[in-house]
Amino acid sequence: MLDIEIKKSLPGFKLEVSFAVEREILAILGPSGCGKTMTLKCIAGLIQADEGRIALDDRLLFDSGSGVNIKSRERNMGFVFQNYALFPHMDVFNNIAFGIRQLPVEDIKEKVRLWLQKMRLSGLEKRFPGQLSAGQQQRVALARALVSEPEVLLLDEPFSALDSIVKERLEEELLEIHEFFPGHILFVTHNLAEAYKLSSKIAVYEAGRLLQFGEKEKVVNRPSNRVAARLTGVKNFLPAVVQEVESSSLNLELSGLGTRLKAGKVPGEKWESGQVVNLGIRPEYIRINDNGENLIAVLVEEVIEEISSYIIRCSLAGSGGEKILEARIPRTEAVNLSQGDSCQFCLPADKIFIMLE
Amino acid sequence: MTEAELIPIWISLKTAGTATLITFILGIAAARWMAYGDFKGKNLLDGLFILPLVLPPTVLGFGLLLIFGKNGPLGQLLLYFDKTVIFSWSATVIASTVVAFPLMYQATRAAFEQIQPNLEDAARTLGAKEWTVFWKISMPLAWPGIAAGTILAFARSLGEFGATLMLAGNIPGRTQTAPLAIYFAVEAGRSDQALKWVLAILLISFASIIALNYWKSRQYSSWRNGQPVVKEVVIDAGYRN
Repeated sequence: MLDIEIKKSLPGFKLEVSFAVEREILAILGPSGCGKTMTLKCIAGLIQADEGRIALDDRLLFDSGSGVNIKSRERNMGFVFQNYALFPHMDVFNNIAFGIRQLPVEDIKEKVRLWLQKMRLSGLEKRFPGQLSAGQQQRVALARALVSEPEVLLLDEPFSALDSIVKERLEEELLEIHEFFPGHILFVTHNLAEAYKLSSKIAVYEAGRLLQFGEKEKVVNRPSNRVAARLTGVKNFLPAVVQEVESSSLNLELSGLGTRLKAGKVPGEKWESGQVVNLGIRPEYIRINDNGENLIAVLVEEVIEEISSYIIRCSLAGSGGEKILEARIPRTEAVNLSQGDSCQFCLPADKIFIMLE
Repeated sequence: MTEAELIPIWISLKTAGTATLITFILGIAAARWMAYGDFKGKNLLDGLFILPLVLPPTVLGFGLLLIFGKNGPLGQLLLYFDKTVIFSWSATVIASTVVAFPLMYQATRAAFEQIQPNLEDAARTLGAKEWTVFWKISMPLAWPGIAAGTILAFARSLGEFGATLMLAGNIPGRTQTAPLAIYFAVEAGRSDQALKWVLAILLISFASIIALNYWKSRQYSSWRNGQPVVKEVVIDAGYRN
């Protein structure tokens, strides 16, 4: 288990996070400059936190209280930098071998050969980084980080410099690596789809704070507040008042409109009637002209065509164009709407989540 | 050229060689310290290191006389060990080192500062000690800058005149370097004599620059000029099976 608790003052904001992960893939998600990379550098020991504690299983790596601060070189962590940071003056072989220089020559050769093979780099060992494509560079960086068998693999925006085809392949590769790499993997990204696809847990950052942390399904489907919801791609928020509380659901009334809606409720959550809340729903869960419950009359404001879906932006009937809902409808569904049409949105009760605000 | 005529050339080479060696070590140490360190008075110290570059050599020579003279702090210290440097061969080395130092320091510091910090950090996460990071990463990557600084330092030491004359004097066979010999030969009306030394210095300077340039480009041309030679194949053989 990797246990992290760090505080660090940075120009413009204060980084203050704490979380713990098992041997699994964690995605750290957030906008640029929110402290994601700084967290990785603190874990790797490249930057010292002002206060806090970092422990890997029983091993204390950093503790401001007792003054423990294990040097980066002794932490045994693989770090893949955003631009890969391959040594430009060394060929592929020597780049990969750098972390195991102290081993006997035969062992070095054997291990490097193995990793060249695993990363499909065989035949490129004499090339210099400047002679490799971006995807090959990244595979060299991964091999270099993994050859010394670290317990933690830290990846700083590993896919941001790649075009989409190479990116997709390397994402699959990371999942494969997890199968033979038994350690912790932490990777930083600002792309939700990437985070969801690759990780089992997601940590959502904003301005140095941890907004939400947990299983990816929960982070995406049950955000705890509006900022976290927005960062995970939720576009629709509507203020409402709780009318009745039932064992597994809530009856809500949209503020100012009087429309009644039903929303799913996680057992154990405490709500009271009369409470003012915010409901949220992801665009892809809204259905159109359905016969279910929770129907809302809307007026089409805009239809945007994407490769595989339509984005339909509507205003709520009776809101005077003030309240907007956005739906993402797959193109497989025949949608024949254009600006000015009226239709009905269906908001499935189990997809609506409630936030106190 | 007679043997006697070769003596100033030999003194010049010995002086410039020794001064370059000292500058090489001191320059890299100072550059490394200033490029990576962060302390109070850093800018002031930087100014002090660069100062010999902008001062007239006579001012420098006078300053060195004050420091190394009988009443100067270092002069007194040396006297305690029964040594004087003024008007000795060591003085030519000191003068050359002081004027060459800023060139070495500046080029090397710039070379260290343009290294991506991520490269050194990557080495640290791969278990490298600070010493290893310096020798295996920082030094090779800064090498072109260091080599350029060395060439400049050597050329500057070889041509040193003013400070040398003030601190070491013009003693034939001991402190008379080629630039001094040329000046005093011309002054005495022996232009044909001066021309021989001029040609010799021209030859040495040019040859050393060519040699160092070649040495510098040889070592890292393979990665510096490396261009991506293959585009990534979209689907590798054996992938997704």
